[in-house]
Amino acid sequence: MPNMPIAMKYTKMKPMAAAACLALAASLPCASEARERIILLNEGNWQADNGRISYFDDGRVVSNEWFRETNGYKLGDTPNDIIQVNESLIAIAVNWSNIVQFITPDGKAVAATEDVPNNRKLASDGGDYVYVSSYGHEVGTVDGMAYFTKGYVAKIDVRTFKVVDAVEVGYEPEGIAFYKGRLFVANTGGYAFNENHDYETTVSVIDAKTMSIERNIDTGQINLYGKMSQSGRYLCINSPGDYYDTPAATIILDCDAALEGRPDRECYVPLPYASTYNCTASDGTFYAIGSRYSYYTGEYTFNYVCIDPAKVFESSGGEGVSEKMPGSVIDDIKGMAMPYGIYVNPYSGYIYATDAGEFVAAGALYQWTPDGELAGVHKVYINPAHFLALPDEKNESAEIIEADATSGNIIFNLQGIPVSNPVPGQIYISNGKKFIHK
Amino acid sequence: MKRLVFRHKRCFPAAMCAICASICSAEVPAEVRPDSAITLKELNVSASRKPLATVQELKGTDLQSLSSTSIADALKYFAGVQIKDYGGLGGLKTVNVRSLGAQHVGVYIDGIRITNAQNGTVDLGKYSLSTLESVSLYNANKLDICQSASEFASGATVYMRTRRPDRDSISLLGGWSSFHTWRARATAEFARKGWCGFIDAEYLNSRGDYPFRYKSQYEDTVGRRRNSDIEFTRVEGTLFKGGFSSHMYAYFSERGCPGGIVRRLSDKYNNVGREWDTDIFVQASYEHSFGRQHRIKANAKYTYEYLRYNTDYPENQNTARVDNHYWQNDAYASISYSFSPWHFLSLNCGYDARISWLDADLKKFCPVRRLDQKAVLAAQFDWRSLRLAASILYQHYKDHTELKTGAADPLSRFTPAITLGYSFLGISLRGWYKCIFRAPTLNDLYYTQAGNRNLKPEYTRQWNVGVEYQYGRGPWSVSAQADAYLNYIDNRIVCLPLKGTYTWSMMNYGKTFCRGLNATLSGVAATRGWRFSLTASLTWQKDLNRTNPDDPDTYDKPICYSPTLSYGITGIIAWRMISLTVSDLHVSKRMWSYADPRDILEPYNNVDLKLTARYLGITASLEVNDLLDVQYEHIPRYPMPGRSFRLTLSYSFDAIIKSVKTRKI
Repeated sequence: MPNMPIAMKYTKMKPMAAAACLALAASLPCASEARERIILLNEGNWQADNGRISYFDDGRVVSNEWFRETNGYKLGDTPNDIIQVNESLIAIAVNWSNIVQFITPDGKAVAATEDVPNNRKLASDGGDYVYVSSYGHEVGTVDGMAYFTKGYVAKIDVRTFKVVDAVEVGYEPEGIAFYKGRLFVANTGGYAFNENHDYETTVSVIDAKTMSIERNIDTGQINLYGKMSQSGRYLCINSPGDYYDTPAATIILDCDAALEGRPDRECYVPLPYASTYNCTASDGTFYAIGSRYSYYTGEYTFNYVCIDPAKVFESSGGEGVSEKMPGSVIDDIKGMAMPYGIYVNPYSGYIYATDAGEFVAAGALYQWTPDGELAGVHKVYINPAHFLALPDEKNESAEIIEADATSGNIIFNLQGIPVSNPVPGQIYISNGKKFIHK
Repeated sequence: MKRLVFRHKRCFPAAMCAICASICSAEVPAEVRPDSAITLKELNVSASRKPLATVQELKGTDLQSLSSTSIADALKYFAGVQIKDYGGLGGLKTVNVRSLGAQHVGVYIDGIRITNAQNGTVDLGKYSLSTLESVSLYNANKLDICQSASEFASGATVYMRTRRPDRDSISLLGGWSSFHTWRARATAEFARKGWCGFIDAEYLNSRGDYPFRYKSQYEDTVGRRRNSDIEFTRVEGTLFKGGFSSHMYAYFSERGCPGGIVRRLSDKYNNVGREWDTDIFVQASYEHSFGRQHRIKANAKYTYEYLRYNTDYPENQNTARVDNHYWQNDAYASISYSFSPWHFLSLNCGYDARISWLDADLKKFCPVRRLDQKAVLAAQFDWRSLRLAASILYQHYKDHTELKTGAADPLSRFTPAITLGYSFLGISLRGWYKCIFRAPTLNDLYYTQAGNRNLKPEYTRQWNVGVEYQYGRGPWSVSAQADAYLNYIDNRIVCLPLKGTYTWSMMNYGKTFCRGLNATLSGVAATRGWRFSLTASLTWQKDLNRTNPDDPDTYDKPICYSPTLSYGITGIIAWRMISLTVSDLHVSKRMWSYADPRDILEPYNNVDLKLTARYLGITASLEVNDLLDVQYEHIPRYPMPGRSFRLTLSYSFDAIIKSVKTRKI
């Protein structure tokens, strides 16, 4: 089946990036008008085996079943997270299929493992290991099966695609981040409403090398569920509450404080907002969309906020939260039927969000310029949720240059996370380009 | 994404049917029993009926010639019916009529509704055809005299009428079928001094490990269904005398609940769930006429349902490990009275009350009690060729619960229905309108982490015009009917994720508009030991989503899972004690998402055969279901079984008992 460009859902303005790059392509390369390349996971419908990848390139959706077309078979049921592991490898957690799928940046399947059933979210050290959180109780490791009462985090060696180690954390661990050789894992206790345990309130800190727990930070908020965003030393963690007595909250966690051994209460600041869908913006702040809902009243309050984590910490939560995102982003999101994901391209600063619409209809991918001007709305597939930006190949072919990270620009690692402490010899992204830090 | 509503599955089919509005029309079964007086009273009622309601019926020999075990298999050949089936014997099977939705279809045994306070749907897989005299489907109202109020309260009604034995007999049955399935049944019947009744007990055990195949450009998946086993025991007893009828039913089952077939690298992990059901009811009904003008009917029923759902198994790594228990008790009583001051007019009033209790060991759940009261006033006017029926139904729902979310506000509504008919030269014309709603179920309102106590009722409005023609008597007859209809459904009750959260909740969302045509044709011919019967039904409909005018992807697009065209043809050839039934069912393609034009369920044809031979009380039958081994689905990734065989042997002692009895006399 040939790749059919999918018609734009609404006849809004043409993608600016595409127009700009097409116009300039013949003349000179422009880093700031780089080709936008986004891999988007569509979760599909639960148990319908229709998880799909949309591939968006140069202002248009090239394919809404990219994985199938590239590999000749389906991705699986309910893909739940996607990250860049290293330069040549991308990992996808396909939750209901019990598969961690590895692909190359051009979409080719490399390996898949079912050793981590009920996998949830992914993190990487940028090199040889992928870390996966799992709600399951079993893991197949190189040393045989391991069994846990609660949930666990598994460590996969991407040279062999085998699980080399695993450690038990809290019940139903969800978001996971890698920082300074440690893993920060948010425990949800998400099955608490029908299993015989309570919601969790902790973030587990794990030594990634030895896969042993260093400490558990009690955040005082229950059910730390959903995507966790990272910006330098800070994490943005969503607590949806229990929808009954405990309202939703957002936790900003300072990883350095945790590693310095400060008391739990000094490691985080809770904010009275929901961050159901959150991401890291190109200036190092967090964007969060969410609603606080109660089954008692049936009422909900939406919030669309930008969180500056450093300011939040300085003021102990008194400042640092604004209801501002660039341009028309918030207004456009408010017009969505069902916002389902938000993302900022670390290479270009372009902003993306998805609308799941009616759940059995195609969702939409919204694209804004870094200034928040709506650049296009594109039809994708059912429940589009998880993003990964790829570098512009034209820029990439210009060779990786050694550079010093002192230009004042924000530096991102390959996972798209702003870093404050680049490691010499590693590859980072700055100003839309990759470079090796001296 | 967490899903709260637990799942069932479904199963398979076979079947046939006959459709005739003409109740006491002239089919003469091959083995006519001269002494089979059935129930005289019912016959009289039927005989006096001129076709006014839109009805399809399957009964007697035709019903027993079906290659089927569950009533879902019989209903699927009725025009306007869509069966939703998760595949396998244990899979949940529900019936949807004219796209109204399963919860708008009331299912009745001997005039008393089968209810499920929890989710409002009836799993047809739990009811056997073998104890039934007839199965009928009425769109809108049945329009009998002296009906209970709840009989007016569904968008469409399925009536199952239990067989009334006319002699003493004992019969034993054993059967084997594909996928490691076997069953045994014993029935004892009696009929004496005006009393009759039976006890019927059945046991079935099936591994249900049927093979399936998904073959497309992108996959060639071959497998066997796992965790699709079922074991059940069903015991039923009845007792009748004149206007008195009673029925006891008990059903105990354990089954696996398989999930959708999704990409997995091996079978190592399985989202296995298992379900145990206990369904018990006792019901009694009494009907009495005073003079020519008055008739009174009283019904009473008590139902107990227990369900256990367990996912706490080591191989289940995918979902919460739950072991939940649900208990429902339901007490029902009704009284109705009809009065015919003149031969051309009858008036009917009725009052029903039902109390349901639901309890479950879910977190944050506590018992819920619902009082559901209904009252109806109806009139039928019958003057020469012109007939008119009108009714007004009042319903009142009130819930009590200690749940912290609180009980829903009481619900009170009036809904009307009206039917007009005219007959000439054997042709009957009819037109009707019915407005009815379904109240949110207790699950919809109170289920932990999904229930929404602010739900509004889901309304349907139906318009119908139809024509019916009947010709012939005695051994030859033909009947045909066609109905065109319009349906509107407002405030559909659906489960959707809440905007801006990760949780799901019940909501009122959606409108549909449906235009359709149902047609049936049936003919019977009998001569010198031969009997031929042919029945065909056809449904064409355009079922459109009218929810969101701003969304060009969904607005005015077909409703998911709704086929545009379906038809069924059943032929029966019988010669003396041998009969052959051949049926073919076609369902056109159905879309299951709006996201991609390739998200469709392929059209399919099911051809079933059943060959039956009788000799000296022994009956042997061989059935082949899905003769062409077509692979198809009702729900994406829930494959239906392909070709299967079933062999059944039974022996009936009735001749012997009868002769002994005669001698004594």
